[in-house]
Amino acid sequence: MAHIWPIGGGKGGTGKSFLTGNIGILLAKQGFKTLLIDADLGAPNLHTIIGLSNPTLSLSDFLNKRIPTLQETVLEMPIHNLFLISGTRNKLDIANLAHEQKIKMLRAISKLDYDYILLDLGTGTSFNTIDFFTLSDSGIFVCTPEPTSIENIYRLIRSVYVRKIRQVLKIHRFRTLAQEAEAQNQDAIVQSPETLLDVLKNTQPEEGKRLEASLKAFQFKLIVNQVRRQDNPKIGILICKVIGRHLGLKIQFLGNVSFDENVHEAVCRKEPFIDQYRYSQATLELKAVVKGIVGTTEEQAATLSPTASA
Amino acid sequence: MKRFLDLNFYELLEVAYDASPFEIRRAYKEMVQLYQGDSLASYSFFSREERQEILAKLDEAYSTLIDEKKRFHYDQLLIERGVLEEEMKYRGDRKTLSFMPNAKRSRTNELSRRKNELKASVSSNSVIQEILSRDILSGKDLKKIRDELGVSLEMISDIAKIRVVLLRAIEEDQFGKTLSRMFLKSFLRSYAQCIGLDADVVVNRYLKGVID
Repeated sequence: MAHIWPIGGGKGGTGKSFLTGNIGILLAKQGFKTLLIDADLGAPNLHTIIGLSNPTLSLSDFLNKRIPTLQETVLEMPIHNLFLISGTRNKLDIANLAHEQKIKMLRAISKLDYDYILLDLGTGTSFNTIDFFTLSDSGIFVCTPEPTSIENIYRLIRSVYVRKIRQVLKIHRFRTLAQEAEAQNQDAIVQSPETLLDVLKNTQPEEGKRLEASLKAFQFKLIVNQVRRQDNPKIGILICKVIGRHLGLKIQFLGNVSFDENVHEAVCRKEPFIDQYRYSQATLELKAVVKGIVGTTEEQAATLSPTASA
Repeated sequence: MKRFLDLNFYELLEVAYDASPFEIRRAYKEMVQLYQGDSLASYSFFSREERQEILAKLDEAYSTLIDEKKRFHYDQLLIERGVLEEEMKYRGDRKTLSFMPNAKRSRTNELSRRKNELKASVSSNSVIQEILSRDILSGKDLKKIRDELGVSLEMISDIAKIRVVLLRAIEEDQFGKTLSRMFLKSFLRSYAQCIGLDADVVVNRYLKGVID
């Protein structure tokens, strides 16, 4: 089964597509069959980051039933092992997917057969974005060391958290219970999702425990992008600490990626950054991030099924 | 997960139950950095009231744990509640942290504080008096006196700033050619002073044995 990694960041311009593209290339170069999906339906440009200016197929071909399976919309990239489902050539109103279309898409994605599937998500906390996080127990949040970005990352993480709780509750048919809890603490839930868990634990201790356990299974990661020299390099660790202490959600800090003027150059030339600047600070840091991702998936695989192999 | 405001002071500051005041101070500073109003990492995460509540709680935790008496009472409270066990408690000076410069100083102080006590035991201890009544003092005699007083070479080394190897050489009369007469004299003087002996007496009688 593929390891699905949604990559989201709340705010625009934090480098989600940049990170998705370059992490994808690094994974492919390490020999992993890697698929990148541009799920930023409103503003797709992942293809440009990895150096493809005119994708011939896209996600909407599948959604419009012009192409029967999602697998057939996959484009093979010049880099060995790297594949892309582009988000371009979509209809302009596709950013607001109908519910059935979304379900269809999520189902199709989880059936694809790759080592890694990276989802480049759009900004904001709409269901279109955060529902992709329900695809997997993993997920990467991207932020920059700026108040605006950090504000949005907290918002996104809380939304995903609530969504995950809902998802789990639905599976176990606790939906009514959740609604009840929600009604009791209407303001509190928006502010801090852990109150939902609390209410549940008080009313139904056993179910509360089960929910808590399934929330613990989530392996969220954080990358702080565009770190300049004057920024506090520990900011990512501190963010993870706040989330761990106050949301009860364990988030692992994957690392900083330095701000680099050359990223702009690479994007303008429409060529992958890590191929152009192989020994830059940012490239080395990206490699460290990829190491973290591979490490996690190996760990997961080891705990889930010790005998299964990739 | 335990709710944040239900955490005890140690959990709140993320320090061990036997953390030293140094560790507590450092942890507190880090936490304040994380939760204060202009902290980037917790920006927008808390409302103003929440933040104030957390900072007040941190202050309470810090002022309790940094104060020896308050901490003792708080620990008792935790023990009563069954959170903390007697052995896990912080016991002040019993825990020597060799990597901290303060630790050495406190040991030094301990010996100098004991100076009067040492002098008293020198004059009251019959074995020591018997040795001191001799005309010539050997290194072995000095070691015997030191053992009677229960002072280690390391302690002397800390105060006198003389390496243990050299002190041991003096006690074993093995200093030979490694020490000039001048250094030997001055080391003997320091050694004597450290364990509450009369420096002049020790130097004179020891050197008598060496010269001949």
